[in-house]
Amino acid sequence: MTELQNKIRELLEDHTVDLVIGWENGSLPLVSSPVFIKKAEDAGKVNFDVTCRNNLTTYLTKDRRQLGKDYQKIGIVVKGCDARSVVLYVTENQVKREKVFLIGVPCQGVLEKKKIFDICEGREVLEKRVEGENIIFKGHAFEIKVPFNDVLSDSCLGCRYPDAREFDAFIGTPRGELEKKDEFKVVDDFEKKTPEERWAYIKDEYSRCIRCYACRNVCPSCYCNECFVDHNDPQWIGKTPEVTDNIIFHLIRNLHLAGRCVDCGACVSACPVNLDLRIMNKKVEKEMKDRFNYTAGLDINEKPAMATYCENEKQDFIMG
Amino acid sequence: MYKFKIVYLPEFLEYLQEKYTLWAPAKSGTETEFKVISSFAEIDQSRLNTTLNPKEIFFPRREVLFSYDENGIKTPPPPEKPVAVWGLRTCDTRSIRMLDEVFSNAHQMPEKEMFKDPYWINKYADSLLISQACRQPLSTCFCNWFNSGPFDETGSDIFVIKGEVNYYLKGISDKGQEVLAGFAKAEQTDEKDAAEIKDLQAAAESYMSPALDISDLKSKLDKIWDDPLWEEIGAKCINCGACAYICPTCHCFDVSDEGKAGKGKRVRLWDACMFQLFTKEASGHNPRSNSLNRVRQRVMHKYNYFVDNYQKFLCTGCGRCVSVCPVNMDIREIIKKILAHEI
Ligand code: SF4
Ligand code: SF4
Ligand code: SF4
Ligand code: SF4
Repeated sequence: MTELQNKIRELLEDHTVDLVIGWENGSLPLVSSPVFIKKAEDAGKVNFDVTCRNNLTTYLTKDRRQLGKDYQKIGIVVKGCDARSVVLYVTENQVKREKVFLIGVPCQGVLEKKKIFDICEGREVLEKRVEGENIIFKGHAFEIKVPFNDVLSDSCLGCRYPDAREFDAFIGTPRGELEKKDEFKVVDDFEKKTPEERWAYIKDEYSRCIRCYACRNVCPSCYCNECFVDHNDPQWIGKTPEVTDNIIFHLIRNLHLAGRCVDCGACVSACPVNLDLRIMNKKVEKEMKDRFNYTAGLDINEKPAMATYCENEKQDFIMG
Repeated sequence: MYKFKIVYLPEFLEYLQEKYTLWAPAKSGTETEFKVISSFAEIDQSRLNTTLNPKEIFFPRREVLFSYDENGIKTPPPPEKPVAVWGLRTCDTRSIRMLDEVFSNAHQMPEKEMFKDPYWINKYADSLLISQACRQPLSTCFCNWFNSGPFDETGSDIFVIKGEVNYYLKGISDKGQEVLAGFAKAEQTDEKDAAEIKDLQAAAESYMSPALDISDLKSKLDKIWDDPLWEEIGAKCINCGACAYICPTCHCFDVSDEGKAGKGKRVRLWDACMFQLFTKEASGHNPRSNSLNRVRQRVMHKYNYFVDNYQKFLCTGCGRCVSVCPVNMDIREIIKKILAHEI
């Protein structure tokens, strides 16, 4: 049993928690699966590795709240970004801190399926193996070794806080805060384009959205009981995957996530058509940092940026 | 059976375009989907399965049913040419035939005219479905659970096998045979060709995992409506529409009005039983209010209700839902759990 599994067994045995949400190995080599552990003897199922993309805290809110209603206290395994989601929930009064037991893990980053697909030129990966700084992918008649960083998700490459900073137990050796000088490089690069180029890019990307809402539904921060797209009296936006309505859906979602997106990348990896969902979220994150010096999910005692007002904050958008 | 050299494919497709509007797998961003093709160069068959599925061809994600303004109501004109599809997988073709049973009501209740969907029929009528054998199935493919396989010709008008230097083409329907007979570059195959095809088929089948016997699946599902098993199966589902939208056999839709009193459109769009809104009633009551009910609905519709109505499973084993589900709800695992469950 790993240290993580032991901890989970202990927590269930001594009734500190009555449910643990973690990951287990998935049915495909590059995918892990959320798992709900209720019995101490099942703790051995839990695993944490480079395929654990999901932000499991999403199971604490929405109509999944029903999941929690039968439990006194829920244990949940959290990476750095996931722990930030819990902090966000607490500051937004969605989850009571004492109702969750956070099992922090140091995160090495998670794999981006789509990058692997490109590197393997579309061939199906049947096996993966981490070897030091490298990762090896194997399929029918091929084997490719690449530096780990080449296949990490963009969110992980830009991540500053890989360790859960808010936790009740921490399993493993913390990696500490990482210095990321180019955290917003993707936004800076995008901003250098002409408005026409930016518009063309956004239109092109979002025209492909099929409105399956996987991005919204995996997102921990999208916890509204009724999303604005689902409201039909009045109907705020068109329901079909038509490009204008797609853009409205995504831009409003971006704004609703202002100061609330933790850049966990769950939406990006959930999208079945691989849209660039990160660029706009990152842009809004940068604005929040520049204007309000606020980053989501870092401080459990700080009020959410959008719920406070401060006289000396930048208001050039009003003043012109 | 006919053959022509692989280099003649562009010519064959041009020949098809004389009579048909040609659809084929093409790039869409980083992904692939079926699109109307004007030239051979647009075709992208680098993926075994297109990311999006072929139902789009006859049942688009957004379809204008009619538009209206002060001059009256306009319905979309029927297509100028019938549709031919190149690059379908055998599972794709079978899925289109299943949807046809639903929308054209080909076998069910033939006396009930009202169940015929003109929007589907307009596009589907006289279409030519050309499916291609899968030479290297994926680990997510499980068509063999449904008495099919990578070389299954069922439902195709023309069945194509890509050999080392030739395409081999078999006319399955009369329509398909006629098309092949009219292509000047097509020659008859010989014994050597037959041997190559046999080897290719054996190689392809060797990639498939052994089929699971699912003959008891329907009757098992009859008995577990209220079983706590659904909780074990469905707890992790986040109720998005990824599985249903990517599925070639899911066919639920919604109808929505766009515009104002004087001018506007009525559109049809895909919908999915996984959404909370799907069954929400005007009163606010939702008979499928929780996630588990919705997961059960998807499984029951595919492997139980559809069997009642059409005597087959509403699933071809294409594996698309297996690879896209963000929380690894693997339909194969679900079926295994159901079959293994003791009542
Ligand atoms: S928008 Fe995407 S990256 Fe941001 S919190 Fe939601 S799922 Fe995570
Ligand atoms: S997951 Fe992708 S396709 Fe689905 S709604 Fe979100 S952006 Fe659109
Ligand atoms: S099974 Fe997966 S893809 Fe389907 S609704 Fe549930 S989470 Fe979404
Ligand atoms: S349920 Fe899954 S495997 Fe079956 S046809 Fe639909 S997408 Fe393919």
